[in-house]
Amino acid sequence: MNRLPLLDITPNVLDTMSSQGHETDSAKPPTDPPAVIEAVGLHKSFGDKMAVRDLSFTVGAGRVVGLLGPNGAGKTTTIKMLTTLLPIDGGVARVAGFDVSSNPRAVRTVIGLAGQAAAVDEMLTARENLRLFGRLYKMPKADLQARIADLVERFRLADFADRPVSTLSGGERRRVDVVAALVADPPALFLDEPTTGLDPRSRNEMWEAIESLAASGTAILLTTQYLEEADRLADEIVMIDEGAVVAEGTPRQLKQQLKRDVLEIHFESDHDLSKALTIVGDIPRMTSTSETREIHIPIDEGAGPALDTLRLLGDSGVTIADFQFRRPTLDDVFLSLTNPNAK
Amino acid sequence: MTTTASPARHRFDPDASISDKARAALLDTATVTWRDMVRTSRRPEMLAFAVIMGVFFLVLFNYVFGGAIGAGTGVDYIQFVVPGVLVITALQGAQQTGTGLAADLSEGVTDRFRSLPMNQGAVIAGRTVADAARNLAGLVLLALVGIAMGFRFSSFGGAVASIALTLAVGFAFSWLSATIAAKVRNPEMVGMLSMFWLFPLMLASSAFAPPESMPGWLQGFATHQPISVAANAVRDLSLGLDAGRDVLYALAWVIGMLAVFIPLSSRLYRRAA
Repeated sequence: MNRLPLLDITPNVLDTMSSQGHETDSAKPPTDPPAVIEAVGLHKSFGDKMAVRDLSFTVGAGRVVGLLGPNGAGKTTTIKMLTTLLPIDGGVARVAGFDVSSNPRAVRTVIGLAGQAAAVDEMLTARENLRLFGRLYKMPKADLQARIADLVERFRLADFADRPVSTLSGGERRRVDVVAALVADPPALFLDEPTTGLDPRSRNEMWEAIESLAASGTAILLTTQYLEEADRLADEIVMIDEGAVVAEGTPRQLKQQLKRDVLEIHFESDHDLSKALTIVGDIPRMTSTSETREIHIPIDEGAGPALDTLRLLGDSGVTIADFQFRRPTLDDVFLSLTNPNAK
Repeated sequence: MTTTASPARHRFDPDASISDKARAALLDTATVTWRDMVRTSRRPEMLAFAVIMGVFFLVLFNYVFGGAIGAGTGVDYIQFVVPGVLVITALQGAQQTGTGLAADLSEGVTDRFRSLPMNQGAVIAGRTVADAARNLAGLVLLALVGIAMGFRFSSFGGAVASIALTLAVGFAFSWLSATIAAKVRNPEMVGMLSMFWLFPLMLASSAFAPPESMPGWLQGFATHQPISVAANAVRDLSLGLDAGRDVLYALAWVIGMLAVFIPLSSRLYRRAA
């Protein structure tokens, strides 16, 4: 048996990853990075409830895949299965070539996880937390010290790295939490709603951090409820609802899939709004909001119909305060695809 | 493979041999111990509380009840009660193991531990070792207070042996306490449940009064339960009496409890999802 040195099985990981890279090379365009996170037909039930069903996706090195869905869609369950925290009921999951079900110990050596709750020790400082987790990865002392110094600098933790985490702001804490997942430089990173509860500035910083990690080759699986976040970060989006995939593709593909632009019209008064509603009649999938006095009309083919609608309203004496003709956002995709009954 | 710029560099071999696994488990335990000791140092009031409780018992029993109980003990009551209070203090320290572990389990950091390539049993083992270290500090301080109140160890060796045995008993109860926490997992609930083992063991014991003065139905329990056995052994050691039999009996309790609660707590902890 070829026993490898205690602290270094990197050749294993590299071999697995590169061999997969070659397989991918032969099947797909050569630009596709090797698969690091693979889920094939994942299933999970809690009692009678199917939490995840037949979920498949791949995250390549240096890629960000966004797992999107409403509350209870199965996002966190999926992350927990892939990170060995929950047993997998059906299907196969592999991380860096290691099978999650049959070799969870090996999987834990190649993953970093930042869950929804800040998973750091609140009584330790940021630096002590990094030391704690690095030591549990059995990193040699000198490497660990250098790594911590590097992380503190790269993610701008220096100002608060030596204060107990319990005294930090929500944004700082979240940053420490994500950086704690990076301490062993894992090839696969799982981020469960990394920006929930952050102010816009911290969110932006987190986004930059995630982008730089992907740029350095980390495969990132990200769950989020913010479509703006997925739009900005994700190379690919897997949209799930009630545990099953409802759409997948690049943000651009998903938006194109909707095949309709949106005409948003804001009216001067309630009277104008009600008058407009009687004039345009009952358009499928049109939505109106009386509080903001606006209607959203889906438009199927280009600007022509939009202009016609505006002209019709103008000719009938409706006062239009403002209008906007826009491409669909991921919000539109999301709302049109997910089950409206699920809150 | 420059595109996969950062395959993790530090990898624990999942197929490591038994001795490597044991070494890794020890490293993990040392790491968790360090973490829990840092936490303890951030909350010195926990240690202070343990010592103050001990002093409280010493003062209460020595000056309030001592006159009444002391006559039946055959020795100066302070000599009788200090070993008892030392053991009780270790027992209360052990109770903290459970509440601390339950707090851990209800925090996100446990999810992180479970996703790391570490020996999961080290989470409990590290805590019990760190709690033993805190207990050591508390016991030494309390012994000094006892000495100030007139208590005397017969020899330095007797003092060391007394504290060491007390620590061992506290360590065994830490694992009992951890087992309850791994099962129940709610810090408040663990705190309440601990009253059910703490008080009977503490009061229906030879720690404060000789069991001979208790009714027959209670005497059997009060004579043979681990806290009484430990208090007797520590008393023998501190007085320089022939301690062999009581010490062996106490160590048998310690080993028996560890043999049951180490595997049980680890299993329950692993099951906690």
